[in-house]
Amino acid sequence: MRIQVIRDGGVSGVERRAALDTEGRPDAPHIHALAREVLSSGTRTASFGVPDGFHYAITVDERGTVYCTEPQLTDGQRDLIGLVLAQGR
Amino acid sequence: MPCTGSSAPGAVPPYPRPRPGRAPEPTARRTVHDGHHQHTLPGPVVRTEGSAPVADQAVDHAYDGLGDTFAFYLDAYGRRSVDGRGLPLDATVHYGVHYDNAFWNGRQMVFGDGDGTLFQDFTGCVEIIGHELTHGVTQYSANLDYQGQSGALNESVSDVFGSLVKQYALGQTADRADWLIGAGLLAPGVQGVALRSLKAPGTAYHDARLGTDPQPATMAGYLDTEADNGGVHLNSGIPNHAFYLAAEALGGHAWERAGQIWYDVLTGGRLPSDADFAAFATATADAARARYGPGAELRAVQAAWTTVGVGAGVGAESTAGTSDATRINAPLRPA
Repeated sequence: MRIQVIRDGGVSGVERRAALDTEGRPDAPHIHALAREVLSSGTRTASFGVPDGFHYAITVDERGTVYCTEPQLTDGQRDLIGLVLAQGR
Repeated sequence: MPCTGSSAPGAVPPYPRPRPGRAPEPTARRTVHDGHHQHTLPGPVVRTEGSAPVADQAVDHAYDGLGDTFAFYLDAYGRRSVDGRGLPLDATVHYGVHYDNAFWNGRQMVFGDGDGTLFQDFTGCVEIIGHELTHGVTQYSANLDYQGQSGALNESVSDVFGSLVKQYALGQTADRADWLIGAGLLAPGVQGVALRSLKAPGTAYHDARLGTDPQPATMAGYLDTEADNGGVHLNSGIPNHAFYLAAEALGGHAWERAGQIWYDVLTGGRLPSDADFAAFATATADAARARYGPGAELRAVQAAWTTVGVGAGVGAESTAGTSDATRINAPLRPA
């Protein structure tokens, strides 16, 4: 499974993007569960959020893209975003 | 280089300034909370209005920056807090872990500590605090839609008044100000001086990790994009530079005339929430003429917008005292 996160907005306005491939990772089942939860909980259209809040677009394989904004993130969204931005490339 | 402009850490801020013989001034009614690196807001209270500094620089910087911003709006424009009615100012520091942001969530300020690699503590820059609280002022006044050109104007007025908060706190004239947003916010080793420059948009940073400051200074560089809510942090460089040019031409304290004109537009109740750059430019020319007459202020505003490529014809029609609503609201095409 390949998961891509694009973060934009924030007071800096600097975009950040990263992608994580779960193949061969020992924690792949956990990440897959997170990804499925995020796909089911996110919205399919971008929203504007609060001024200077981060906006996220999360794409999982060909299964689609969901959007979410700070500070209204679920724990699952926050965990997945944090993982991909920290360990993805 | 550390951020500057806020009251000295550990000092009790001088605001509100006493005015002998007058009734006590309103107070900022500040409350600072500690997020303890979680994402639950607001978190436990760690400092309240009038209480002594604590052994946490982020708490005291946030407290002082809220006070600086409150004092600026009250003294410069007679505005009582972000809503004009004395809204208490709440802030949470230490939000999240290595969180690279600060924002106004519609009710309070939220500050991250920065990751230490790209950004440092976001409470350290008074213009960032002024920027975020001005999002609150906009929310309670023009309420500019946070997308496209109206979103870029929303960002721009936050940059303008954020910089003016710093200039006011330091007592600086326009020619002495740095006109930077986020001066000192960049972590050691990052090649740059700040997040944005009103004086020279597009020059604030050039770094292998952070990239290059993408802001245009004029409509010739307008960025047509869907990212960042339609480039709200990108194209804001254009109205930012227009304000700088007007303030620089007028000289003196930028909050007194240029800032007053921008404040009149923001809070005047006539700017539509979907205003584009041309509408805002015309509104500033109208506000300049209404407050100061057809003099240096109006000419400075007209020349500034002309230089950045916005609102051709604003000068002639505004000087004549006419205003064409159709023209004002017409979409502006990138040059």
